[in-house]
Amino acid sequence: MKQHSLKISLIITLIMMLMAAYSAHSQEEDVKTVEDDAFTEQMRPIVPFLHDEHNEIAEIAECGVCHHVYDDNGLLSEDETSEESQCSECHLPAKSKDKTELIKYYHNQCKNCHLQRNAGPIMCAECHVK
Amino acid sequence: MHAVYNFVSGPLLWVSFILFFGGSVYRIVSMVRMAKKTDPVVYHFWSLKYALRSIFHWIIPFASENMRKQPAMTIVTFAFHICLFIAPLFLFAHIILFKASWNISWMYLPDTVADIMTMIVIGACIFFLVRRLKLPEVKYVTSCSDYVILAIVAAPFITGFWTFHQLPGFRIMGIAHILSGEIMLAAIPFTRLSHMFFFPFTRGYMGSEFGAVRHARDW
Ligand code: HEC
Ligand code: HEC
Ligand code: HEC
Ligand code: HEC
Ligand code: HEM
Ligand code: HEM
Repeated sequence: MKQHSLKISLIITLIMMLMAAYSAHSQEEDVKTVEDDAFTEQMRPIVPFLHDEHNEIAEIAECGVCHHVYDDNGLLSEDETSEESQCSECHLPAKSKDKTELIKYYHNQCKNCHLQRNAGPIMCAECHVK
Repeated sequence: MHAVYNFVSGPLLWVSFILFFGGSVYRIVSMVRMAKKTDPVVYHFWSLKYALRSIFHWIIPFASENMRKQPAMTIVTFAFHICLFIAPLFLFAHIILFKASWNISWMYLPDTVADIMTMIVIGACIFFLVRRLKLPEVKYVTSCSDYVILAIVAAPFITGFWTFHQLPGFRIMGIAHILSGEIMLAAIPFTRLSHMFFFPFTRGYMGSEFGAVRHARDW
């Protein structure tokens, strides 16, 4: 009997762990748009961005290309990444109401790579789709 | 598309800036030199006080007799010129491009305000066109180049409006917009659009002569 309940509780724990893992996984997969919390009022339509699909067709293997970390010397870190932070956590000057700074970082990252690779959207209307 | 965009928004942009600023300096300097040689009386009569007095009366709506005679033309011309300068200089999309390339930014208009100003400019261009086509006394002094100049000025606004509203074909229109903006900038010093720099001189001279010599008003 005791063995039986142990098995059941083991199975339940396993299922719960799987569910937790799955939901964490699907949360990552769920990134379909870029919506930084720092933009409290949107001036332009939201940018669609199918996270995993984008990185697959664009053949970007390293998360750090976008979710980068810089060391104290201002050098790009090879093995650290920052996907747990939104871009605004590092790129919006403290207390600043000037959102153009943060917008610049988004645009430079997305648009400059598209221009370099000759692929992907480059004009306002291509990213901020109505 | 990417190669075209790179070219139009890179090297061509520099060419148009250089033509605009270089051409403007060249035109003003050569005009001042020319006047010294062939029209020294201009310097003789030039009076800052009367020049400014006249310019002032000609940049305030309805401050001159001519403007009061043509109220529609006056309103349209003023609305046109104000929107023509304010909309592109304080357009958010332009400012964010300056910010991204040169890290400079300044105040900007809400997009709806810029959109309305754009429509005012386009509407005014249509007004100028109709006026040139319909009014016999204007038609008489109109040449082909006047229509070309109107088109050069209207084009960046029509194409900018097009891309902003994401109308069909906005990608091509976006490229056409940048190109037409560059053509307009480059055309300013070398066409009749140079009235921007010559206005203070012609008006100022008229003012000086009328004020200091004839003791009359020229507005
Ligand atoms: C092309 C750039 C890019 C690459 C490459 C990239 N990401 Fe992202 N990622 C983003 C953007 C943009 C967001 C959305 C941020 C937002 O909406 O605030 C995001 C969001 C996330 C989120 C959700 C964070 C949150 O705040 O909700 C996770 C987790 C994440 N990415 C993990 C990864 C991992 C793991 C990799 C590498 C396999 C990776 N990313 C590669 C651009 C990228
Ligand atoms: C952990 C903090 C941090 C996060 C999170 C972060 N960055 Fe950065 N980023 C930096 C630092 C530090 C630099 C280097 C100094 C600088 O240029 O401001 C930098 C540089 C940049 C640059 C200029 C250099 C380059 O790589 O082209 C861009 C563009 C950029 N970040 C965009 C982004 C975007 C977009 C995101 C979100 C996906 C993001 N950053 C997330 C810290 C961060
Ligand atoms: C390191 C390079 C790189 C970065 C950074 C990057 N992209 Fe891309 N992106 C690409 C490439 C390459 C393609 C073209 C893929 C193809 O169609 O072959 C692309 C395509 C796209 C597309 C069209 C395809 C799709 O997935 O629907 C969108 C939208 C897009 N990118 C948005 C973004 C946004 C938003 C960002 C910034 C958060 C971004 N990209 C950052 C390389 C990049
Ligand atoms: C390559 C894709 C891309 C292009 C091209 C692009 N943007 Fe963005 N833009 C983004 C992303 C990604 C963000 C961050 C969105 C967010 O977090 O809500 C952003 C943010 C913004 C924001 C702040 C959010 C808001 O809606 O208020 C504005 C405004 C903006 N962009 C305007 C423009 C304008 C104007 C242009 C054309 C000059 C342009 N963008 C071109 C991707 C792009
Ligand atoms: C020469 C380089 C130029 C570049 C790169 C450029 C770029 C752009 C871009 C990207 C947009 C945004 C479209 C959108 O918001 O989705 C835009 C809009 C616009 N541009 Fe330009 N532009 C240039 C020159 C000019 C010039 C010279 C003028 C006018 C004199 C002009 C007038 C406008 C107007 C009026 C709009 C907005 C229309 C609206 O809001 O309805 N542009 N431009
Ligand atoms: C300080 C700068 C400027 C001043 C003082 C000025 C002044 C004037 C004046 C007095 C007129 C005549 C209106 C009439 O016919 O009664 C005019 C017309 C016009 N201006 Fe300007 N202007 C300036 C800048 C510009 C610029 C930068 C452009 C375009 C790039 C421009 C485009 C035009 C056009 C298209 C017309 C109408 C032409 C027509 O009737 O077909 N102006 N301007």
